[in-house]
This record gives sequence, structure tokens and C-alpha cells, in this order.
Amino acid sequence: MTSFRITLTPNKRAAGRFIALVRRALQRALAEEKQKEGLTQSEIACKIGVHRSVVNRQLRGNEDMTLGRIAELAWAMNRKAIIQLVEQAQDRGVNRIEKIETVITNSSAKLSLDKERVSNSALENV
Amino acid sequence: MATLLELEKSGDIFRLDPHLDPGQQEYRLFYTSATLKKWIEDDLPKLGSDRNIEELPNQQFDSLVEVYASGDTLTFGWTFKPLTNIGAGVWEFKTADLRIFGWFHKKDCFVGAFSDEKWRIQQHSLYRGYAGQTVHFCNTLALDQPKFIDGVDPNDVVSNYAYP
Repeated sequence: MTSFRITLTPNKRAAGRFIALVRRALQRALAEEKQKEGLTQSEIACKIGVHRSVVNRQLRGNEDMTLGRIAELAWAMNRKAIIQLVEQAQDRGVNRIEKIETVITNSSAKLSLDKERVSNSALENV
Repeated sequence: MATLLELEKSGDIFRLDPHLDPGQQEYRLFYTSATLKKWIEDDLPKLGSDRNIEELPNQQFDSLVEVYASGDTLTFGWTFKPLTNIGAGVWEFKTADLRIFGWFHKKDCFVGAFSDEKWRIQQHSLYRGYAGQTVHFCNTLALDQPKFIDGVDPNDVVSNYAYP
């Protein structure tokens, strides 16, 4: 079986995924506040002093956001933006680090089997 | 007729590895045609953002595939629509600069046929052409029937798509 990946350097992949993560967090907050308080993009725009189209473009990902704008949008949605830098896990293609660590101790052969089973599990229903 | 796995083995379609992080499970599958694979490998890395945004098209494609494959919620509320039905079983994934056309053979199992830049598709009115080519590719592929699942709501073809 042949699979392939999108060609991206690890730093660019991390950057793209982080940008998407931030945008999706804002979209989620907007959906929650809209349901809870009826908050609209127009009200957010009014609170931070920009046109509604700016808020719309930025939430859609059609326009870049500064760090300051992220904080402003979060504030306008009754949220506080925080950032956390966590250490990267190194074992790609496995799901349960603690299990793999145990297996490494016991048997390196079993480790490769477990890895294969986890990575192929999504294909089982095709 | 053949399953997706058999078509992958024979080289008629290809599986896009989403390059998930440790701790992420591949819940949704993304296959591509040979044409889309070639476009992803040869054309996508050269594209710049038509909107001059920081996130380049290959990053947009990558983050879309990551969210899709990891099984995460694809949208929040009715405002943002990363996946739309364009008729005849054809679906379109959207990013800021890209459009990806394909169909769902099963729920959470997408077969991408073609992709292009949004501005080119709009400027040259390529929507119907790409939709037609996608249907043609689907028809010519020796895939088990039913080749695609019915539905016009994204929740019909993707689990955890979500609305409010």
C-alpha cells in the first residue's frame, strides 16, 4: 500500500496548524457565545471598533490576525486568550505513550507490532 | 469492482497520510486520485496565497487534512462552512485559497479527485467543469457500488461535523 504526505517542513507544518488552531478556537467561542448570549459578529466588531467585515474575514482565515487582535476578539467574546507551550511528544504514529514505554522495556519486537496495529486501525472499516 | 484498499494496492487511488501528532488517531480517511496526488506533490508547494495571508496554500491543505483526519469537529455554528455539497454526490472542501473536489465512498471516507485555487475557479468559472470531471472519475473508477453515499448535509457524510 502506498500513502503519501503533503510536502511541508516541520516548522511550516507547525505554524500552519497553530494558525488553524487559534482560528478554530475563536470560531468555537463565537458559536458558543452566539448560542448562549446571542452575540453577533457585528457586536464584536462594534466592541473592538472595526467593521464587521474585518471580523468576518479574520475569523474565516481570509485575513491575518495580530496577537493583539486575537486578544481583542477573545475579550469581545467574554473570553481571555492564554497561550501554553508544552513539550512535544516524540513518538509519531502511536497513541498511548505510557503503553509504548512499557512495551519498549519488555520487548522491542512487540513495539513494532503495536505501532502497526494502531496506525492501521483506521483502515479496518474501509 | 474493488474496495478502496484494493484500488489503493493497484495504484488507482492513493491514501493521503495526514501526518497526525502523537496521541491523535486517524478517524477519517482521505484518498486521492493520481491527478490530485500529482497536484499536491508538484503544484501545491509552489502556490502563494492570493489573499497575501501568512498561511500558505500547502499549510491550509495540511491543517484542513489534520482536522478532518483527526475526527475533530469540522465547523462551529452555521457561519463557517469548510465542506459543501455541490450536487451529484460531489463535495467540496474549502480553505481560504483552495477548493478540493471529491466524494464520500463511505461516511468519513473521502476520495479527492481534483483541487485548484479558489481565484482560478471563480475567474474561469471552473466549478461545473470540476464537478463534472469528479463525477466522470468516480464513474470510471472500478469501485464497489454504491460508489458514494447520499446526502446534502455535511453531517450525512462526516461524523462530528456539527452545527450548534
